[in-house]
Amino acid sequence: MARRVALGLVTLLILSVIVFLIAQVLPGDVGRRILGPFADQRAVDALNEQLGTNRSLVAQYWDWITGFLTGDLGDSLAFRRPVSEVLGPALVRSAKLAVLAFFIVVPLGILGGVVAARGEGRMRDRLVSVGGLSATAVPEFVWAVTLILIFSLTLGLLPSTAQFPDGSGPLTQIEYLLLPALCLVFVLFGYIARMARAGTIEALDADYTRTAVLKGLPDRVVLRKHVLRNALLPTIAVVATQTGYLFGGLVAIEVIFNYQGIGQAMFRAVSQKDFPMLQSTVLVIGLIYLVATLVADILYSVLNPRVRLGSAE
Amino acid sequence: MNRDTQRRVDAIRARSTEAENHLIDAYSGGGVSRREFVRRGTVLGMSLTSLGFLASACGSGDTSGGNGGGTATTAEQTAKVQPGGTFKAGINIPAGAVDPVTVADDGGLAMLGQTGEYLTWSDSKLTLQPRLAESWEPNQDNTAWTFKVRQGVKFHNGKDLTADDVVATFDRLADPDNASAALSAFRGVLSKGNIRAVDPQTVEFQLDAPNGNFPYLVSSDNYNTIVLPQNYDGDWEKTFIGTGPFKLERFNQGQGATFVKNPDYWDAQRKPNPDRTEIRFYEKEQARVLALQSGEVDAIAQFSVSGGKALLTDPNVQTIALKASTHRQVHMRTDREPFTDKRVRQAMALLVDRRALVDGLFEGRAQLGNDSPFSPVYKYTDTTVPQRQQDVERARALLADAGMADGFEVTIDTYDAFEMPSLAQLIQNDVKPAGIRVKLNIGTSSTYYGDAVFGKSRWLDSVMGITDYGHRGVVNVFLGAPLVSDGTWNAAHFRNKRYDRLVRQFTAQSDIDQQKATARRIQELLLDETPMMIPYFYDFLTGVRKGFGGVETTAMAHIQLTGAGQTV
Repeated sequence: MARRVALGLVTLLILSVIVFLIAQVLPGDVGRRILGPFADQRAVDALNEQLGTNRSLVAQYWDWITGFLTGDLGDSLAFRRPVSEVLGPALVRSAKLAVLAFFIVVPLGILGGVVAARGEGRMRDRLVSVGGLSATAVPEFVWAVTLILIFSLTLGLLPSTAQFPDGSGPLTQIEYLLLPALCLVFVLFGYIARMARAGTIEALDADYTRTAVLKGLPDRVVLRKHVLRNALLPTIAVVATQTGYLFGGLVAIEVIFNYQGIGQAMFRAVSQKDFPMLQSTVLVIGLIYLVATLVADILYSVLNPRVRLGSAE
Repeated sequence: MNRDTQRRVDAIRARSTEAENHLIDAYSGGGVSRREFVRRGTVLGMSLTSLGFLASACGSGDTSGGNGGGTATTAEQTAKVQPGGTFKAGINIPAGAVDPVTVADDGGLAMLGQTGEYLTWSDSKLTLQPRLAESWEPNQDNTAWTFKVRQGVKFHNGKDLTADDVVATFDRLADPDNASAALSAFRGVLSKGNIRAVDPQTVEFQLDAPNGNFPYLVSSDNYNTIVLPQNYDGDWEKTFIGTGPFKLERFNQGQGATFVKNPDYWDAQRKPNPDRTEIRFYEKEQARVLALQSGEVDAIAQFSVSGGKALLTDPNVQTIALKASTHRQVHMRTDREPFTDKRVRQAMALLVDRRALVDGLFEGRAQLGNDSPFSPVYKYTDTTVPQRQQDVERARALLADAGMADGFEVTIDTYDAFEMPSLAQLIQNDVKPAGIRVKLNIGTSSTYYGDAVFGKSRWLDSVMGITDYGHRGVVNVFLGAPLVSDGTWNAAHFRNKRYDRLVRQFTAQSDIDQQKATARRIQELLLDETPMMIPYFYDFLTGVRKGFGGVETTAMAHIQLTGAGQTV
């Protein structure tokens, strides 16, 4: 476990260097990106001087990494305020959306997968499998515009932006976040349902399931105690890998729903060569990814005694 | 005109300068329309009351509109609005920190105008309204301008406005050691240290060169120039300090801001109507348009024809269209094959179907451009210069004369914003009949502009490219850097001494007839040399929901909610 964590941290360090170098390759210098192509060159030089972006690469990276390790994420070059002030709220917003989507799509996906598996080959199986796959194939921003058109403009039931007003209670926040969360549900349902379905089918076919049924255990108990646990294993792996997407990959949805999440923050940081912002954002997402896979590993070993007890099978 | 009126007119004339008298003569003689007269008069610093009086006293009965100019207001915009309430408006998200010194985008400038105020306000008809400056006056040769600072104005922190605040504001913006976005506007016009407080109520600007349109450079057109207290030391986002009708309630970076009425606002004629205003930021136009349609905001500052088609036909939305000088410059490098011969450049311009561009790209909501920055919206534009039309035969003949009868290959560089990719494609199509094969190189804003210096920028190095130029209240900026011999934005590498001289002349003039005569010469020169195509000037569109009114926007993307509210 400790080794896993250590390796993860080394990965993050390498990631930070790679991102830094790639960002250097981006065209344009920082002062020019901020003031625009029509600004006087003297003003651009003055801004670069102020922001310290005319120093050597190594100096800039060193300053930043030492700061990061002591908790100081540096100042955003574009906004001229601490990165943590911009990143913190963006992270919280992305988390809210991710969590809401997560709590809808995971139970739904597992349910769909189990239902499909139990009715393997029949109508409900086809509905879940084919329906889920079709929904996944549609890009999330197409879902976004469609849902806004139906629920916001035509029916007027839900707001067209996800940004809830300050001081909204949890129910209002859910009301605003429901449409973007639904887009994610449509996109991820198929994947999760199919993994759950595959896991369930395999478990249903297994010897221990037949034994349990022959023993006389009712279906529901069999399902709960023996089948479900095994069906969940591949599903957990899938969900863990989707965490990175749920946090950093939602630029399209954030843009359409005008939601200032991490995806937009990163996108803007790239266009403005805002290194401190870009570096910190990428590392934070990397960290989330690391934590998600660690949690998945733990869950895996909890659910799978073979892993926990380390015995060969 | 009765004798009493005549006496008053004479009295005004007696104390007016030569330029002002000439303007009055032009108006009386019918050569200048009423609207033009008022607008030109305000630039010269004449008071609106005198102008109003003279307009009716000396009017020759001709009140026609003259050279176009801002139209705009639908019936609802001038209708009465209910007092109080919260007005919500949506704008483009500011690109970076909202700092009066560095703002260079439309979202940022709209924010500056919410609480900050300018010496003068350039309105939708390009007329200058006095704001923090009560009046202004040039010296004999337009090399110095004196502004009277309004008395009784307080900043939001209670401090009184004095001439020292104005001096500090402009010294800060003209300082090359500050990352001032206004530096390019002041280049060659105003230098740091040349602004002084003659007395606590008067400021004098000593210019680097004569400039007849200088008051526009200290107006809302030069959006960084909101007047700040002398002791301002940065971090504007904390306080949004200014003298305006609204003061900051809360600023949420990336999301928006709320403002409350300023009870001590100085202008009794323009008291703020709403109790609160909410400005919301939208990263993409699509989100902004959807928000207006769903009623989430009451108005959006700007939308484009292509992005907001639904709004144009939505019964719940009123569209306000302002004529503007926003345009695209399609430059052709005069120092590179195949464009070294001006006949080839002329031919390119003759092959393009401008009417089709206007109809296709803007559904008619644009005015034809005649390959010079002189938009019909400017009063000094000479509209008698013949409008270039598509003429494929003539183009072919010119190409044959230049030895290019078989056509040639050329690449058009531009980037993926607004309608520019579509414009590039339409040009590509239009020039095919002459055997010209166009390759398109459409990048992003960063790859196109690069470092924005010669040698490191596709914009300035490409043989042919399309660049977007936003609206400006006066043509000076467009005439200068993009076209003068050592201009920093001169993508066409155009070097013409006569042109440079004419521009210097135009800049120094303030007399309307002289400006028009010089404008004519410049327009004809550019039509002949054709270093660039300027196919259109498109309208600035604002959207307001039905049932709301009193929103004032300018083609610069300022949005003023002072008189906004629900209509009665």
